[in-house]
Amino acid sequence: MTAVERHGAQSYAAGATQRRLGARSLLVISWIVPVVLLAVWEAMARLGYLQPHVLPAPSKVALTAWKLTLSGTLVSNLGVSLLRAAFGFAIGGGVGFALGIAVGFSRLAEAVIDRSVQMVRAIPFLALLPLVIVWLGVGEGQKIFLVALGVGFPIYINTVLGIRQVDPKLLELGRVQGLGTWRLIRRIILPGAMPSILTGVRFALATAWLALVVAETIGSQSGLGFLAMDAREFLRTDVIVLTILIYAVIGVLADSLARLLERRLLQWHPNFGGKR
Amino acid sequence: MSAQVERLKPEVPVPPSAVPAVEVTGLRRHYGTRVVIEGLDLFIGRGEFVALLGQSGCGKTTLLRALAGLDPIQGGEIAVAGRPAVVFQEHRLLPWDNLWRNVTLGLEVPDARGRAEAALTEVGLGARLDDWPRNLSGGQAQRVALARALVQEPALLLLDEPFAALDALTRIRMHALVRDLVERHQPGVLLVTHDVDEAITLADRILVMRDGRIAAEHPSPGRRTTPEFRDRLLADLGVSTTEHD
Repeated sequence: MTAVERHGAQSYAAGATQRRLGARSLLVISWIVPVVLLAVWEAMARLGYLQPHVLPAPSKVALTAWKLTLSGTLVSNLGVSLLRAAFGFAIGGGVGFALGIAVGFSRLAEAVIDRSVQMVRAIPFLALLPLVIVWLGVGEGQKIFLVALGVGFPIYINTVLGIRQVDPKLLELGRVQGLGTWRLIRRIILPGAMPSILTGVRFALATAWLALVVAETIGSQSGLGFLAMDAREFLRTDVIVLTILIYAVIGVLADSLARLLERRLLQWHPNFGGKR
Repeated sequence: MSAQVERLKPEVPVPPSAVPAVEVTGLRRHYGTRVVIEGLDLFIGRGEFVALLGQSGCGKTTLLRALAGLDPIQGGEIAVAGRPAVVFQEHRLLPWDNLWRNVTLGLEVPDARGRAEAALTEVGLGARLDDWPRNLSGGQAQRVALARALVQEPALLLLDEPFAALDALTRIRMHALVRDLVERHQPGVLLVTHDVDEAITLADRILVMRDGRIAAEHPSPGRRTTPEFRDRLLADLGVSTTEHD
């Protein structure tokens, strides 16, 4: 009898331990691993197992970041890159959105535009790079054009899709309530298409960044890509690693921005906004 | 001064149902070669509650949609006093707008929020002005749809099986609410339903539609209804209540 009791108590205790391990510990472990990897990297570099021109120590990269920030090089080149991305995004997004609206609303516009757009979309947009360089050289135009090209398609497709997916019963309701065309668009069609449009924005942000990396790698005189390519000439791997890390950070920030937009604009949507 | 106004009133007031909410003459509606409604006449007065019974596919929803101006008609004439309001079988609330914005959709008045509050209070949801549609039960959502229709102060209210998707108890509560609201706002009402008891409970007058025409018309006995009257309606609908041989 006592044996059974003790056995029961033991198994309860084991269960509790496992529960404690569950939530908090797993989170800690998930952070320990990258920190350990970083430490191993640092140790390997300091002990000379990693040549500085192959992979510099993390501390060296951090130091380089600090120096380049102080000299202003990093900030000015980062600014140039962000400006290019912003211009390209605005142009490509604007054109994609406008075409998407037109095609979403009008069967005629669809007949005129959609097939051609879909055909051009079949081309991986980075494959157009040589052609774009022939057209526009390697100046600002080429970079902004490439970003705009990458951004335009996801915005276009998701805008059309979003408008098409608006519940026809709600459109009918709008007519019953006497909404004019403009207010029908404002109150029903755009909000209804918004989840899809924002999905497009998220895709487009990722594409814009990718397009910029590629465009800046070729013949740049400024920007993050220039910084990396210039560093390559002098085997400054610390600068190269730094630019790669910055690309990563900005990619993450852009994605959080898109999520923030989704949470703000789609408060009503059970999949995006929290419970109220 | 109010005494003067009182004196100016006519001795015999015009019954509200004599003022037309909608008048239909010779309505014709077809999809391609299939004729759905042919030579239909209909009059509904202000304050009159008319139920339209009919089997599925008899053209009753087609008639309602024509009255709502949602579908084109191929012949005849429909004269509606103002823009009719519609409550559909589904609530059709906009999920991205809170309740007061939903209720005032299409309403262009300065104090929209105040009007929405009054309308939502009438359906017992005055405290939920800023709540979202997704937090409502089926019955509550349909009450908001009712408020959205009535806030427009329509001369004609079209109800397209609005209680069909509700559970039995909620439906009974909704019946009482609708009767109450119609009494207060005095629109002409056309209720499309296939529920015979619902028609008897709510309506002043019951129309039975068959093959695109009004096949029968009865004043509703309301609470004084008899099983015989119910059987007669069912017979009009083509449903036999006697046992088959």
